[in-house]
Order: sequence, then structure tokens, then C-alpha cells
Amino acid sequence: MKPIATTRSATGVPTGRLAVWWLLASEVVIFGGLLGSYLMMRLGHPEWADAAMHTNTWLGATNTFVLLTSSFTAVLAHQAAEKGDGKKAAGLLVLTIGGALTFLAIKSFEWYTEISHGYTITANNFWSFYYTAAGLHALHVIAGAIIMGFIAWDAFRGKELQRVELIGIYWHFVDVVWIFLFPLLYIAK
Amino acid sequence: MSDTAVAVQHDERHAHDDHHHGPQGILKYLWSTDHKVIAMQYLFTGMFMAVIGGFMAYVFRMQLAFPGISVPGFGQVSPGEYNALVTNHGTIMIFWVAMPVLIAAFGNYLIPLMIGADDMVFPKINRLSFQIFLLSALILLASLFVQGGGFGGAWTAYPPLSAVGEYNQTELGSSLWLIAVALEFVAFLLGGINFITTLMNARAPGMKAYDIPLVAWMIVIASILFMLSVGPLIAGAVMLLFDQTLGTGFYDPARGGDPILWQHLFWFFGHPEVYVVLLPAIGITIDIIATFSRKKVFGYKMMLYTAVATGVLSFFVWAHHQFVAGIDPRMANVFTVTTLLISVPIAELLFVIIATLYGGSIRLTTPMLWALAFMAEFLLGGVTGIFLGASGADIYFHDTYFVLAHFHYTFFPIAIIGSFAAFTYWFPKMFGKMMDERLGKIHFWGTVIPFNFIFIPLFVLGMGGQHRRIYNYQHFPELASAEMYNLREMATYALLVMLAFQLVFFFNCIKSWMNGKAAGRNPWQSNTLEWTTESPPPHGNWPVDEMPNVYRGPYEYAHPDREEDYWPQNEPS
Amino acid sequence: MSDENNRNDDGQHDDDHHVNYTKIYVTLLILFAISVMGPFIGEITGIALITLVTAFGIALVKANLVIQNFMHLRWEKKIMKWMLTSSLVVVALFVAGVAPDVYNHEGDNWENLAAKAAVERGIAGGEHDAEEDHAEEEPAVEVATAGFNAAGSYVMICAACHGAEGAGDGAAGALLDPSPANFTDPTFWSTRDDARIKTAIRDGGVSVGGSALMAPWGALYDDEQLDAMVEYVKSFNPTGE
Repeated sequence: MKPIATTRSATGVPTGRLAVWWLLASEVVIFGGLLGSYLMMRLGHPEWADAAMHTNTWLGATNTFVLLTSSFTAVLAHQAAEKGDGKKAAGLLVLTIGGALTFLAIKSFEWYTEISHGYTITANNFWSFYYTAAGLHALHVIAGAIIMGFIAWDAFRGKELQRVELIGIYWHFVDVVWIFLFPLLYIAK
Repeated sequence: MSDTAVAVQHDERHAHDDHHHGPQGILKYLWSTDHKVIAMQYLFTGMFMAVIGGFMAYVFRMQLAFPGISVPGFGQVSPGEYNALVTNHGTIMIFWVAMPVLIAAFGNYLIPLMIGADDMVFPKINRLSFQIFLLSALILLASLFVQGGGFGGAWTAYPPLSAVGEYNQTELGSSLWLIAVALEFVAFLLGGINFITTLMNARAPGMKAYDIPLVAWMIVIASILFMLSVGPLIAGAVMLLFDQTLGTGFYDPARGGDPILWQHLFWFFGHPEVYVVLLPAIGITIDIIATFSRKKVFGYKMMLYTAVATGVLSFFVWAHHQFVAGIDPRMANVFTVTTLLISVPIAELLFVIIATLYGGSIRLTTPMLWALAFMAEFLLGGVTGIFLGASGADIYFHDTYFVLAHFHYTFFPIAIIGSFAAFTYWFPKMFGKMMDERLGKIHFWGTVIPFNFIFIPLFVLGMGGQHRRIYNYQHFPELASAEMYNLREMATYALLVMLAFQLVFFFNCIKSWMNGKAAGRNPWQSNTLEWTTESPPPHGNWPVDEMPNVYRGPYEYAHPDREEDYWPQNEPS
Repeated sequence: MSDENNRNDDGQHDDDHHVNYTKIYVTLLILFAISVMGPFIGEITGIALITLVTAFGIALVKANLVIQNFMHLRWEKKIMKWMLTSSLVVVALFVAGVAPDVYNHEGDNWENLAAKAAVERGIAGGEHDAEEDHAEEEPAVEVATAGFNAAGSYVMICAACHGAEGAGDGAAGALLDPSPANFTDPTFWSTRDDARIKTAIRDGGVSVGGSALMAPWGALYDDEQLDAMVEYVKSFNPTGE
């Protein structure tokens, strides 16, 4: 059902992988623009440090650990898929999705606590950036987890195993964004 | 990539044919993943939006020339409505006409055909891109009819006007407008990925990078430019949307925000965006000119590298839109230099086109006329940009009609002339019929001549100090002189004439589609691969065992070893 | 389907890159632990640079490890590295071009009064915390009025039409009809009181029977700040009250 075009590869790189990298290239600029803006404003407004004091570093750190681990399971899934073991790959992808859900649960709890203390998105510009940046990231986590679910389902039945690597690359990117968000929003106090 | 590969493909395609000819019936037009159908969807949507954008121009030009008039077909124009008209005219023309027609429609149609592929590499994502795009168009149109009316804060949407409902008085319209634009960006990001990966990977056997027709390259380079530049604006748009709907203060100075941040976020994309639409127009022009000069492009690699250089440089000039906005004057120095520099590669592109024409065996068909007009008019637009790029002169010119005339002298050739050039050139391929040449030429002259009579008066008015975005110049004594009103009226009458001649185009389309002479495969005797298949091409573009192989470049015209003056890319020798 | 990988690939994919993912993961965790500990060490020793290096330096190293090893950039064709580099260069270019206006609050012949005022407010407000009455407060502004600069606000918002000296002669107001109020004219004050001035500023000219050209500014200022601005406007009155 796929067109002949999809099977060709004049560059030698499988088209799916090429596409994911292009997607990431544009995502880098989106997050880069947002975080760059945040950085410039943060550096120019030392009074934001007051607000920044109130982010929960321990919850942030836990989430960093969760995402790092989920990246690990994602790359192990890729390893399994390469060997043709669809069921194992699917299992590891499910673990990765579990990591995503854990991340989201912790974040929900974290935000609930912060909001009930009055640190809402309109409290001041630090919080506005905080929720916007983390929120945009969380949207990408959700989207990634959903797509990962579909790919895991296919992989379990031994189909489209090459996509395990592709969703993995996307997932690692989501992890890398968080690797930068963590110091920017939590450690820099 | 030889017989076994073909055999594999053959088998896959058999499966393809057996249970997947593509949807049937009405669904064929709504749910197809065929790149040609999707291209048509983009084309017709773009043309429809062009009619709307043109209607808006008609209304506000009537108001400007005859203040207070009850405009036929609209009624009296209130200040709020005027603002909404100029805002949405600009927004629609750039995002819902120029981009979908030049990039999405012709990119979708041509790229797989020109590289000898049977479709884009991700057909379903292609369909999704159009659906998101259509949704964005519907939301934009909806924004015009909600309570408060359409957003009127200019297509540049500077806060605080765009952020605070109390100021813009169009709270709902503003947010819908912003959401529509953001969705359009997403659609084009997805589409761009399809174009880039298809061009990179799905080429016919034997087609090297320098065998790809320039128009395909230009559309892909434009897509890359778009993808790299739109990021900060997407971030900024989210921030603006939150300011509008949640009450955040990203751009509110009283709360530590910065409206200049928005300006930078917007223009960092806004400037490369104009090259995103320029490059495809230039690609279309050069392909047409090569075909109708019966000559090789003077410098294929030069054009390619210059286009890339233009793209790269375009990232370094954005703040020339902000010279008088309160940016650091030292940055203004930098941006003046880079802005003046960027005129060099663009001029080079035009020189290559002229050199291609020189000594050619010219065939003045309708598409050729459009291509030539593109060059002439764009040249005028480009040189007036030099004045604006010099920050000292810009202190006077900023926000006057000089700017407006400059960008119409560049955008109109790109979006309108470029689109007509492409449409008249590839119509035979898309619909299997030839367009009427005489009607085509009448339409051409009836568009291009009035165009100049619209915008040259606006240059003069701009030099005379007429500011932009004012709905009634009677409020400004020095701008309400009889001479100035004469110029405004001239521009408006010219617009009416130009709009009237578009009826000739629509008539030509319908007449040719119903009754036109059969086009055959290659009416223009061109070399590129799309002309080797039927007109219109079937689903899959070529029969499965006749997918083309490529043996030479795309512009081998008047080759000494050949009797004919053209040499299609897929002919073995 | 994994055939596709082999056929289309440069061949290295399957053979070469069996790096030990577990080792990388453990390295990441160790670096992560250091980056969490960093701020504590930085605080104890008082060397802020430690926090900076551990937080951001380690972030860069971690990101690099993930990108090179988990995302396989190490073994990818050069084009991917070019793409990623271009994206990063574009982001850097954006920050470089915008920082002089957004990060800096003053430059050659210009000052960002609003930003400076915001910084001062924040520092003067000190531990003014969000905990207390944020839910109630208008979305507009969270400020310590002790730091409010009425004169600065006048310059920012009013002077364009009403003139730097309040004489109704601002450049933007020159062609308005009716012209902007002239606060140095005694006859103006004979028919105005504090309440009316305050209403005009907060709700716009129409609310006091005046011109629609005077916009409402109430969204920007709370009650006390409006009073401060009224006082400032009154200071232009030549008769002194």
C-alpha cells in the first residue's frame, strides 16, 4: 500500500529517520525560541529569583530521573527491534510510556500544589514562562506517548519494527529538552 | 537499485493496485492521499482565499479614495471594520494565498512528478497537512464573523494592541486569528517535512542532485527556511495567546514583560518568510524561461548556491522592520549593512535569468509573459527596498505608503504573477487541455498594466508622508489635498480595472477545461519528467513498470548533438 | 521490514554501534546526581560558579551523551549533524540579535523605563510573596506600591499626547481634535476635581464626556497607583492646587 517513493533512499538514510530528524530540527528552534526568550528575560529581571525560589527542585529532579530512565528503556526497545524481537521491543516501549505517565502524574501533582499556593500562570512573568515552557514540553510528552502506543501495538505483532527507532529518537529529544528545562526552571534560583 | 529492487517494487505495487486504486466517487476529491489531488485542494482553497483577500482590498481602497462612501457590496466602512479589512487582507494574502499556491499546491503537484516518483513519501501525512490547513482557513474566516468582528491589529499583531481586548475591541476575533495562523504554521511544518524528504530520497534512479529542476529545489529550500525560522514565532504566538486569554503579561511592560520581544519574535520569522515565498516564484520563473528560451539555465549551480546564500542571509536582516521601534541603535547599524548586502545575491539571481534569456529562441507564450513580468516588476520592488534598508532613510519612510508600495511591488509579482505563471504553464499537464492563448494574453495585460497604476501613486503618496493604517485621510489636513486624493482615486480605479480583468481568467479556465484543445503529453516541448507522462497523470503517475530513469540534467535545450532542440531527462540517448 | 534498514543504510547501523547503553545510562545518572548536589555545594562554599557549571555544564554533557549515543548521531550521516547545528545556530542568532533590546535595559541613548521600574519594584518589594492574596488580585499587576514611579508612567504613557510638561503639546497629540488637555492651563483646573481626573485615566475620555481618543488605562494600574498619577498630573497646575 505504500508508494514506491517511500521505499527509495537516494541519500542512504531511511526516509522515516530523515523525516524525524527534520521534525526535530524545527522543534529545536521552537523550544530554542521559547527558552531563549525566557533566558533573556530572566537574566534581565533578577527580581524573578523570588518567584523561582518556589519551584520544587525535588519533584523536578525526580521527573528528570524518570525521563532519563524512560530514554534508557526506549533505546533498549530499539535494540530489541533491531534484532527483530517485536514483543520485547513492545514491552520496553510500554515501560517507556509508563515513564511518560509517571512524569505527567508527578507534574500534575506539582502544579496542583503550586497553583493552590497561588503560583498561577498569571502570578508573575516567571510563572508565566514556567507553565508555558513546561506545558509545551508536557504536550510533546503526551503526543509522544500516544504515538508510541500505536507503534508498540504494531511492534507486538511484529510489524513496522523500524518505527521503534523513530519514536525513540523523538522520545530522546523530549528528554533532552527536559535536561535543559530542569536547570533553567528549578536549579537556577 | 536494479532488477531485484524493481521486482520488489512491482510486487508491492501489485498489492497497491489490487485493493487500493485510491478512494472512489466523491471521496476521491475529499479523502485522497494522491499528491495531485491534494495539490488541487490547496490550489482551489488558495484561489478562493485570494478572491476574499481581493474583495477586502476593493472595499478598503474604495473607502480610502471616497471616504464615507457606502461601498457597493459591503456598505459603509467603520474604522474598526477598516482595520479588520487591512489586517486580514495582509494575513490572508501571505498565509492563505501565497504559501498554499506557490509552495503547497505546486510543490505537491510537481515534486513527485519532477523527480520521477509515484507520490510523496508520506501520503497520509500529506493529507493531514491539508486538513489542518483547511481547518486553519475556516477558523480565520470564522474570526471575521464573531462578535466584535475580525482582528484589526495589523498582520504584525504588535502587543499591547493585540494582547489586550480592551484596546483592540475584538477579543474573540483576535484569538481566533492567532489560532488560525498557528495552525497554518503546523500544516506547513508537516508539509515541509514531506517535500524535503521526498526530494532527498525518492528520486528516480540516475537523478543526481544537480539533475533536479530548479523549481523543485527552490520549493524545498523555501521549506527548510520556513522550518528553521518559524520556531520562535510559534513560541511567541503561544505567549501572545496566553496574554490574550489567560491574562499573562509576557508583553506587558507594566508587569516586566516586553512588547519589543514580540516584534523580534515576529520579524525573526517574518523576514525569512518573504524569501520563503520568493524562492518558489523565482524557481517557477526560471523553469518557464528556460523552456521558452530553448536554452540551458545560464548558471544552474550558481542559482542553487545563490538561493541558499539568500536563505542564510535572510536570517540576518530582520530588525530592519524595527528601525524606529526603539531597538538599540547600534543594532540598527548592523541590520542596515546586512539588509543592503542581501540585495546582492537576489540581483545575481535576476542576472542569471537575464543571461538565460540572452541569445535564446524566445517563444512569447502566456506563461513566458508572466515570467518576464515577474522579473520586471520584482526588480522595481527590490530596488525600492534599498531605500528602506538604509536606516536613516527609513526614519522617514517607516509606516508610510512607500513601504506598502515596496512590498506590493515584491509580493504581487511573487504571489499573483508567479501563481499565474505557474498556473498557465502547468494547466495543460493538470487538466489535459490547453488554455486559450488570446484570452490568456488579454488577462495578462489587463492585470499587469493596472497593477502599476495602483502602486506607483502609492509610492508618491508615501514620499509625500501618507502614513499607513489610517482609515480616513480627511482627518489629516496635509494629507487631504486634492492632489493626494487624485492619486488615491487613480489607484482605486486601477484596482477596479484589474479586478474586472480577472473575470477573463476565470472564463478562460472554465472554457479551456471544458473545450480546450487536447494538450498531449508535452505541449511546451520541455525536458522535465512531468512532461513524459499523460496529461493529467494517472494515479501513480506512470505505469508501474515504466517509472522513469534519468540520464541528464533538466535544461538540455539546443544541444548540438541533437536534431530536436530539447532532450527529455528520461530518454536514454 | 528490517530488510529496509539494511538495504537503505550505509551498513554501519547494524554492526558498529553497539555501545553499552547501560553504561551510558549509569553515567547519565551519576551526572544527574552531581547536578542536583551542585547548588548545595555552591551555597555552602559561596561559589556561585559551581552551581552554574554543575547545572548547565552538566546539562550540556548529558544532552550530548543522549544525542550521540541514544539518538545515534555519532553514527549518522553528516547531513543530520548539519541540520542540528543549523537549528542551534539559528537559535543562537535569535538570542544574539534580541538580547540587546530585551536583556539590556539601556543602551546608546535609550532606557527601558518600564523594565527598570519592574526590577526596582521587585527588589524593593523583596519577599512580597505570592502566597497571600493572589487569587483575589486583579490580573493586571502584582506590585509593591512603595516602588511605583508615577512620573515614569507619565513619561511612558501620557507625555506623547499631553506633552512632557503637561502642556497638551505632545507630538502625537498635535493633530488630534479635540486636542489633548493642557494641564498647565488654569481654566482646565477650574472645572476638574481629583475624582474626574482619576476616572478619565482609568476608564478613558468617553467616561467623562470627553474624547474617545483618550484611551482607558485602568487595566495597567491599581487604585493606589491611579491616585499617585492624579497627584502627579496635578503637579502641572500652575496655580499650585
